[in-house]
Amino acid sequence: MIQARSKLTYLLMLIVGSLTLFPVIMLALGSFSKGLTAFGSFTLDKYIQAYTDPAFFAVIANTIVFVLGSSTLATGLALFLAYLNNRTDIPFKFLFQIISIIPMMIPHLLFSVSWALLLNPSNGIMNLVLKQAFSLESAPFNIYSLPGMILVEGLLDLPIAYLIIAPAMSSFDVTLEESSRVFGAGTWLTLRRVTLPVLRPAILAAFILSVVRSLASFAVPSVLGMPGRVYVLATYLYEMIARGFAPDYGKAAAVGMSVLAASVILIIVYRALTSESEKYVTISSRGFRPAVVELKKARIPLFLVVGLLSLILIVLPVAVLFYTSLVPYSMVPSARAFALMSWKHWIAVLEDPISLLSLKNSLLLGVAGATLGVLLSIFVAYVIVKVRSTASGILESLSYLSFSFPGIVIGIGFMWFFVQTPLYATLWALLIGYIAIYMPYGIRPLSSAFVQIHAHLEESSRVCGASPLTTMRRIMVPLLVPGIVSAWILMATMFVRELTLSVVLSRPGTEVLAVQILRFAEDGLWGKLSALGIMMIVVSTSLVVVATLVGARFRLVESSG
Amino acid sequence: MEIQIQGVSKRYFSEGKTINALDNVDLTIPGNQIFTLLGPSGCGKTTLLRCIVGLETPDTGEIRIGGEVVWSKDKNISVPPEERKLAMVFQTYAIWPHMNVFDNVAYPLQVRKLPANVIRRMVEKTLRFVRLEEFERRPATKLSGGQQQRVALARALVAEPKVILFDEPLSNLDAKLREETRKELRGFLRELKITAVYVTHDRIEALVLSDLVAVMRSGKIVEMGSPKKIYFDADTRFVADFIGRANLVKAKVRAHEAGRTIVECGLGTIACHLREIPIGSEATLCIRPEFLRIAGRETADGANTLEGHVESLVFIGEAYEAEIRIGTERLLARFDTDTHLEEGDPVIFGVDPAHCLLVSI
Repeated sequence: MIQARSKLTYLLMLIVGSLTLFPVIMLALGSFSKGLTAFGSFTLDKYIQAYTDPAFFAVIANTIVFVLGSSTLATGLALFLAYLNNRTDIPFKFLFQIISIIPMMIPHLLFSVSWALLLNPSNGIMNLVLKQAFSLESAPFNIYSLPGMILVEGLLDLPIAYLIIAPAMSSFDVTLEESSRVFGAGTWLTLRRVTLPVLRPAILAAFILSVVRSLASFAVPSVLGMPGRVYVLATYLYEMIARGFAPDYGKAAAVGMSVLAASVILIIVYRALTSESEKYVTISSRGFRPAVVELKKARIPLFLVVGLLSLILIVLPVAVLFYTSLVPYSMVPSARAFALMSWKHWIAVLEDPISLLSLKNSLLLGVAGATLGVLLSIFVAYVIVKVRSTASGILESLSYLSFSFPGIVIGIGFMWFFVQTPLYATLWALLIGYIAIYMPYGIRPLSSAFVQIHAHLEESSRVCGASPLTTMRRIMVPLLVPGIVSAWILMATMFVRELTLSVVLSRPGTEVLAVQILRFAEDGLWGKLSALGIMMIVVSTSLVVVATLVGARFRLVESSG
Repeated sequence: MEIQIQGVSKRYFSEGKTINALDNVDLTIPGNQIFTLLGPSGCGKTTLLRCIVGLETPDTGEIRIGGEVVWSKDKNISVPPEERKLAMVFQTYAIWPHMNVFDNVAYPLQVRKLPANVIRRMVEKTLRFVRLEEFERRPATKLSGGQQQRVALARALVAEPKVILFDEPLSNLDAKLREETRKELRGFLRELKITAVYVTHDRIEALVLSDLVAVMRSGKIVEMGSPKKIYFDADTRFVADFIGRANLVKAKVRAHEAGRTIVECGLGTIACHLREIPIGSEATLCIRPEFLRIAGRETADGANTLEGHVESLVFIGEAYEAEIRIGTERLLARFDTDTHLEEGDPVIFGVDPAHCLLVSI
């Protein structure tokens, strides 16, 4: 039993290790090579070229402003929403739950596109409306700018920051605040001196995770930054490898190394902080509901703010996309616009062979990738949770490492590997890359499912005479179904919309939805883009529905038979 | 079926410290009896049970069940738990929440691939035995604690194993239910005539259920014997103290005469149950509170007489508990509720030498 377990641990370490460390090693080797065709010949040229380029420093400056700005916005908004939800008498609290699961439904790429459709300087719908209303000379807003990018990225990172801050807020021990009030401090002073300092680890963790995500973000910089020539590291790298006549993978690898190093360090800090914040949280386990702060007059205005945010995050992007897919060209909603509506763009997309191929590829990658990914995650999560050894600790660190990987950088690493193999330009390359990068999304729900299964349930099956495999099939898997379903849903929706890794690895013949949508955006084909975008949302939503139904059915069968 | 354990040790390493969970244990558990491993938490009793069932691997030694070697360091034998053909009732019951009562109980038979009609017959018989026949279709999560406990027992019994292991099966029940279930379990086990190994830290459970009790401490078996032997005639101070409430008084052996051992202690000169301890050496005198009987002016022949006064008196429901000051010692005693005594009153006790137990220091 012990031996079998350690064999399994080593096998998984090998698989996970090659998935996560291999692209990193290839990236490092690549950065010291002369080029894709001259792999292995040592040179420092690429580093010298990359880090002495004057354009590089402008890019760094942009990146810092973009990353810090959007993370501050996301964390601030998350703190505001979490406080309102957990500690005040604001109405309709279910809205907060919705805000926190939205990123699963609307891909970042489409969210960025919908903002471009609304606020681009030449024919953004909102700009046109404002110009007409106030008879302005030029468009009042330009989303193709750093502030525009910060706004959109901040809104996109808001849910993840909220998911970290809200639990810390809800398990906050109110007596800490009450004693501060008793000793004479007012609401504000208490908030400043007690509440926020106690929540500091959670707030910092949320901020750092936002930093990592906006550093890796490609959708916002490519859709909103590149038209206005505002480059950040992700798009700078993309330019190097995807544009022009001579893609320079060596220089890209050299720049990518420092992006990767920054991300990995930040994630290590993040993990240290979250274990710290869990320590803070476990202090109180009192059963009663925290006392709520009465908002009095501010109740309705604050609610309107939350309502507006949900509108911006959920309704607006989908509505704008749907509207754009139906009108012949960008125009302000009006009687004439509605008269001109047609399915023209939809038909064009469905007749476009590349769009159809990308639909098929993405669906295939979503279903097959998520299935394989979940299968691997089940074993990894099992070892992490149930086999407590040094090796399983290493496996845990390895498997969470890819959480910090910026897709485009790891894509470059994978590129250095795949060109040496027949996998290059096949769907297998994308499949392997997807699983490597999104493994934590499969492992996390499964390991929390394993944690809830008491060791005795498994042991008792063994004592009853069942082999380890029978135990896995009849006891562990049925109990894991909810975890498996949510892991599958997470991975499948991530894969269907995947952009950052795909822009590097996708080649003619292996187009995927997000890459095709990006092409449409670059060519300004907004109508087709919107039609394909809605199709993408439909595909991932139906995968969610199917997985939920299958999960429910499986549980039913098991409990009746 | 007899279980033989020879030289079994198990060490854990935790936070840089080594813990001897089992320290070279030699033990023979006789067949067809109810055998209890009793000891405070952390004494190694559960580890020993898990080594027998195969969920834990010892560091050294050998384990035989019914003559067959299931684990041996030297012979490099390690039979996995599913092939040991044992049954176990877990502390948490380990009822599978995704199955109903029938499937939980049928599981051991299903994995042995018995025909469906045989499984049905055997499960029904077992459920009748534990009086759960009405609950077959009930989801396992919709059962009370006591019912879950009986499902766990039914699952252990259904495949008619030769040995059943119990890991503190009553500790998750509330006090009243625990008392009922204890009686019930005793009834079930007496009827079955199988080998049962029962782990508990509750002395009353051990006394009520067992044919044979082994008391463990720090990974070692300290003493083994029938419940009465352990209660009335323990060899060591640790066991005497652990198995029931006891007044322990330091004493010095003075003489052996007329089938009694005479000791000198804080209570005066006391005649005790005969025990071969060299004259002049130190020992501990153990008197259980229930044997301190209030005497009138006259005491029974040969009984020790103790004179003292009531220092404190507490009403605990079925009795009074009193602390009695006698000489330099303070003893715990229990009185009937119709005793008319108050704090400060003088009191005289008679104690039968047969109940004055001498144990090692």
